[in-house]
Amino acid sequence: MIAPARVAIALIAIAATGSMAAADDAETAADRAFRAAETAVTNGSAAAALDQFEAIGAARPITRWTDDAWLEAARLAERGRDYDRARRDLEAVIAVTTDDQLARRAKNALVRIAAAAGAEGQWSAVAAEHDRLATAILSPSGDPKPAIVELERLVRDHPDYPRAGNARLVIARGWERDGDADDAIATLRAAASAGEAIDRRRAGLELVRVLVRHGELDEATTALARVDHVDPHDRAEVADQLETARHREWWRRALWLGLAVLGAAAAIRLRRATGSWRATGRALLRPPIELAFFVPIAVVIVIVAATGNPMVARAVRTIAIAGAVVAWISGVALEARRQRGSLSRIGAAGHAACAALAVAAAVWLAIDRDHMLDLVEMTWRDGPAMR
Amino acid sequence: MRARLLSLLIVAGCVKGDPIDLGTFVNNGGSLAIDGCGYTLTTYPGAEAPTVALPAFGADPTPKNIHLGLMGDPKTSVVAQWRTNDDTTRASSVRFGVGANLSADQLTTTVQGIEFGYQGTGGNIYRVHQGHLCGLSAGTTYSYQVGGEDLSGTSHYSPIFTFHTAPDVSANPDTAVVLGFVGDSRGGYDVWQQLITELQSRTPDLILFSGDAVTFGITQDEWEDFFSLAQPLFATVPMIAADGNHEANAVNFYSQVAMPGDQQDYGVDYGFAHITVGNDSPDDPSAITGAARDAIAADFAASQSAQWKIFMHHQPIWSASTRHGSSTTLQMAWQPVIDHYHIDLVLNGHDHDYEVTKPLVGMTPQPSAANATVYIVAGGAGAELYPNGSNFWTQYSESTYSAATINVRQGQLDFEAFRQDGSAIPTGFTKTKP
Repeated sequence: MIAPARVAIALIAIAATGSMAAADDAETAADRAFRAAETAVTNGSAAAALDQFEAIGAARPITRWTDDAWLEAARLAERGRDYDRARRDLEAVIAVTTDDQLARRAKNALVRIAAAAGAEGQWSAVAAEHDRLATAILSPSGDPKPAIVELERLVRDHPDYPRAGNARLVIARGWERDGDADDAIATLRAAASAGEAIDRRRAGLELVRVLVRHGELDEATTALARVDHVDPHDRAEVADQLETARHREWWRRALWLGLAVLGAAAAIRLRRATGSWRATGRALLRPPIELAFFVPIAVVIVIVAATGNPMVARAVRTIAIAGAVVAWISGVALEARRQRGSLSRIGAAGHAACAALAVAAAVWLAIDRDHMLDLVEMTWRDGPAMR
Repeated sequence: MRARLLSLLIVAGCVKGDPIDLGTFVNNGGSLAIDGCGYTLTTYPGAEAPTVALPAFGADPTPKNIHLGLMGDPKTSVVAQWRTNDDTTRASSVRFGVGANLSADQLTTTVQGIEFGYQGTGGNIYRVHQGHLCGLSAGTTYSYQVGGEDLSGTSHYSPIFTFHTAPDVSANPDTAVVLGFVGDSRGGYDVWQQLITELQSRTPDLILFSGDAVTFGITQDEWEDFFSLAQPLFATVPMIAADGNHEANAVNFYSQVAMPGDQQDYGVDYGFAHITVGNDSPDDPSAITGAARDAIAADFAASQSAQWKIFMHHQPIWSASTRHGSSTTLQMAWQPVIDHYHIDLVLNGHDHDYEVTKPLVGMTPQPSAANATVYIVAGGAGAELYPNGSNFWTQYSESTYSAATINVRQGQLDFEAFRQDGSAIPTGFTKTKP
């Protein structure tokens, strides 16, 4: 007869083996389930993956995947803007994990979600809607206006929403993107005097930038003076943009005026050479020989530029057109003058100088658009490496 | 030992809270083998040779700009770096202990630091301190503080920070790591601070900075802002960087950011990821098709067994922004190498917008990311934004400030990007591998 002790030991060993086998089964199952959930994420089935990760987390016994699964679920929930669900999943991580880095990650995520959605989740729905609308407004495609209007209403309806300052900046960007600078400026003016100090400061700086971009330089100067407690480099950057804008505005006006003066002078000289305005008009209708040389070269350059940077291509096109206009007027004027007798050297030099000035003005005005002048100035000052 | 102590006493005896004058500043660079770490610290021309610290303080030895870097294996080592309010303190040491949130008396291990000066614009000499902590345990949390002591026993130390070494994935294959990715902060430090806060909330293990931290690399004042605002994150998470065209290979950059190898073209294993970093703005431009490409290819070849391969450099190979756009030079010089070694992810900056490409092999978009490379441009850490664009390779683009996290575990890489206010930018993506 077998001793009872031996039987007991055998039974315990059988039970232990069974437990271990069961545990191994649980680990294997969890491993498979985790991989399947990862694949679901890759395949774009985030909602299904979220459910799968939560199921792994909730399954018992606890496996080596339990805490990771809750953390992955929390990430997907947050990504899907379900902050309450993300919060619950993160709390589950903290409850089960023995990995201090994972615990730290979960705690930091809870703090982030609390900042967005409130410590008790009281702003969860508002935050989710804010993020959805911000994505719609800032996305490069589609009409942002409906989302802008909705976000404005959201902020108006929830004046205590802690991220209202961020939302106002998004609204302003949306209006500017939509081509409505006035509404962008109005939004930023309101934001610069509402909410937390840090939000007011950011809105104030952004207001200055927008005013500079849209040529409201006096207002930009006033707005910059009102922004306080700003990082000195941020202030210097914006102040530099403002000064540069003033400088360029002066040059822009001077060059347009110069082009107008040169054009008027050319018209008057042509009138003198041809004898009447009608004759001047007829002369201008005939393209001069210079264009036969200029246009083919210009077309080739424009085509080559079109294969590169779009901003550069547009500037090259504008310069080519301006060059053709100058060459046309210059050629007609020279021909008319030649028909009245030879041109003196001084006259020729003066004519060439005026044509060169006209081209230089046109080039400057062309690259002034789209902030290409910044690129040229930086390259001139610091070399091509500093672009 | 006595002779060494005596020489230290003689030198330090000249100091009574005043700067040490050790003669003319010699800025030809130099090397110092770091005991117990298995690597050598080499400083660049423009900096002094690194030396073991002396126990003497300057006028204000308060540590500042504390940040972590890597020169060795991140599982077992980290480099603590800092400057002091004066630039004349020579005392330099790091106290640390195992565990999070320890008190000062629990930091029972002390490592003597290294220090050296470097010369920026205006002839000013700046001083950086480094503590090389080696022989650490993988996947372990440590607490540390930086500072120093003089011979009288007076000490000045920083607050206590915590860091976590890289996991040993051969022992713990289920571990995930989080890499933070950000770049182009120059001139925009309010946004930089916001992104630091957002990154910190995502608890990264390693920061990948793609260059252009400052407007002019040789000018120190922006570096002060860059590091001081990032300290809450960088003092707890190591950062490695690529040289940007605005760093311009300045001595300030190489002196303040500890990185492996020659600090220009190098590789690091972190978890299941291998990160290769390349310098696409070398002093000698011919290196792009020469030495730099060779070094990058060699690193790719040596890391073929890594499950996830990430390559970071500054100028984008594929970018639809209307400001800089794609670098055709790098497309011709580096993309063939990227394709040959099936790099999973290429991280770039330079264009101050956000763009994700479709998976690419050569110039051809692929139906899936398997065996193809996704190129990311996220140069929006504060520098003035550029217009975004779209082209045949573009999956998504937006003119926005941004940073990103890359969650890497065995079999899965998950990329998420976010704006400076924390809102998610669409078109993150996930790759899985068997």
